[in-house]
Amino acid sequence: MSAASPIERISAAHARLAHRLGGGAAWAGRRHAALGRLVERGLPDRRDENWKYLDHARIGEYAFDAEPAARPEPASVNARLLGIPAAHRVVLLDGRFSAPLSTPALPAGLEVIDIAALIERDPEAANSLLRAPGDSADDRFALLADAFAAGGVLIRVAPGCEVAEPVYLAHVATAGSPAIHQARVVVDAGAGSRFTLFEHFVALGEAAALGNLAAELALGEGSAVSHLRLHQHGPAAAQVETWFVRAAARSRYEQHLLALGGRLLRSNLDLVLEGAHATCRLDGLFLADGERQVDLLTKITHRGAATETVQEYRGIAAARGRGAFNGRVTVEASARGSNASQTSRNLLLSPLAEINTRPQLEINVDDVQCRHGATTGTLDDDHLFYLRSRGLDEAAARALLTFAFCRDVIGRVPLAAVREAAEALVAGVLPDRELIRGAV
Amino acid sequence: MSDDGQLILEVRDLVVRAGDRLILDGLSLAVRAGEVHAIMGPNGSGKSTLTGVLAGRPGFEVVSGSATYLGRDLLAMAPELRAREGLFLAFQYPVEIPGVNNVYLLKAALNAQRKHRGLPELDAFEFLNLVRAKLASMRMDETLLNRGVNEGFSGGEKKRNEIMQMSLLEPTLALLDETDSGLDIDALKVVAEGVNAMRAPSRAIVLVTHYQRLLDHVVPDQVHVLAGGRIVKSGGRELALELERRGYDWLRPGTAAA
Repeated sequence: MSAASPIERISAAHARLAHRLGGGAAWAGRRHAALGRLVERGLPDRRDENWKYLDHARIGEYAFDAEPAARPEPASVNARLLGIPAAHRVVLLDGRFSAPLSTPALPAGLEVIDIAALIERDPEAANSLLRAPGDSADDRFALLADAFAAGGVLIRVAPGCEVAEPVYLAHVATAGSPAIHQARVVVDAGAGSRFTLFEHFVALGEAAALGNLAAELALGEGSAVSHLRLHQHGPAAAQVETWFVRAAARSRYEQHLLALGGRLLRSNLDLVLEGAHATCRLDGLFLADGERQVDLLTKITHRGAATETVQEYRGIAAARGRGAFNGRVTVEASARGSNASQTSRNLLLSPLAEINTRPQLEINVDDVQCRHGATTGTLDDDHLFYLRSRGLDEAAARALLTFAFCRDVIGRVPLAAVREAAEALVAGVLPDRELIRGAV
Repeated sequence: MSDDGQLILEVRDLVVRAGDRLILDGLSLAVRAGEVHAIMGPNGSGKSTLTGVLAGRPGFEVVSGSATYLGRDLLAMAPELRAREGLFLAFQYPVEIPGVNNVYLLKAALNAQRKHRGLPELDAFEFLNLVRAKLASMRMDETLLNRGVNEGFSGGEKKRNEIMQMSLLEPTLALLDETDSGLDIDALKVVAEGVNAMRAPSRAIVLVTHYQRLLDHVVPDQVHVLAGGRIVKSGGRELALELERRGYDWLRPGTAAA
């Protein structure tokens, strides 16, 4: 590894690559400005309160280079994806939209636009479409994505449109050498629209890329989006993501995060319930086994009156795994009559595993109901003894109880194929998995 | 009392500590096949410690003495091995385990035992038929099968579930820890019928109880009084009735027998 700091390497990569990225002067200017702000402020580090549990050195191990990999065989990509009948596939290869791998014919009201093509065709439109990241430490990786912005996908669902089958957004890492890939995703849910978005993160073979996703979702009035997210990278791949969600009046947003793969995941969710009666339910499960690290941040802002959020997160750390859940809920003065609840339950399966959980509530108005709870513990000895007293050996009893710990969160995942994949992944990393076959 | 049956459990001079407290202090007990023994005693006399130690509950230190099960050193066996070898503990406080399906646990328990004995696993159809019959005999609703283990069960349902598991697993030695506590009279009858149905020449049952009312329905061959960590008096069924009349105070160590 070179002695240069990550920021120095980012600058060098930018100097080498930026002229090849399209979009003319407008985009060159935007990228350059983003790089300037990034260089000035640096990547987040331990001193930033929402980043203190992350192993920053590990991020620095990835080369900040964006040479595209060779185009993979479609069969090798398809083999990694889940069979979801009639789903509308949208495939990103290292952050770039792949038309050949994506579903060509889409139903009326669902539009998928290649951002790379849009940047070439209409740089100004693309410029106003992509959110400009702010200056906070939590937005720094979005700034990095902006500095290299070149591709990604825009998914638009027309007002009033109900898309019956799920939109399957696959993020595929292909590069064999450590590299960083930027992806942009913009989802626009028109007023009254309704659909399911399934994001699936996979890596081909031993792909050792760091994917950096900057994404945004706007829920129009009265829309309903069910957002499933399954991280299933290989052991060498890493992911940093910054999701920015805005919910208008009476919209309903549901997220199921299943962080079950990769060497490192840092996931930021910045969600604002802007309109009255917007509701949101966030379910999350992470599993940090081996040497893995999972670090989740949710920042929820209640702005509209009578808005509601329910967050339920479960974390499991085994071996030398490390996990963190940082959940901040802010209820603004305008959010009268709102409800917010947050639970973070965590399970440590080995003495060297570590989970840090940090719920934070900031309430600026009376007449709201907020509660939060966080626990971190080991398996219950009484439960273990009960199962063993019925003849199950200790390893099987432990596996079964670990599986039970996350079963309700997995059980609420609305797509059977995703639910089953998550169950198999959780069961698959448990010791003595064959012993609990049949429970799964 | 006949000495014909095979010796199933023999406890000799058992001394057990939990933390720095001495709980069993030289307890001896012999239980033969075909017998039902009742162990009675005041709160804190060591009744639950006895069943816990015999079933392998962690947290106790055996200081001295022995417990043999069918001639083998019971205390050296892992809890799951004791279960597979035919020992069953009906818990005083059965735990709720959300997320672990009842039916899965029953199947895993039964198959663990069958595998240990070199028997083939039951297929799904045989297994379900067997479980349904057991549920019906304990007057339990079939919907309980697909709930988490004891999850949301009433106190009575939990106790009936223990007896149902016992009848499914057909143990050689059944230890029932205060199975009668917290039951209303109807549930007590169902549980007692379940226990009586398990009486068999090849099986031994040890009932641990505070009150004698269960013994109106399940008539024991022997009654022992546990006090101060040891058996202070043994007798027949009439001893239980005497305890009901006189309480336990006259039997406490250091109290002169009246």
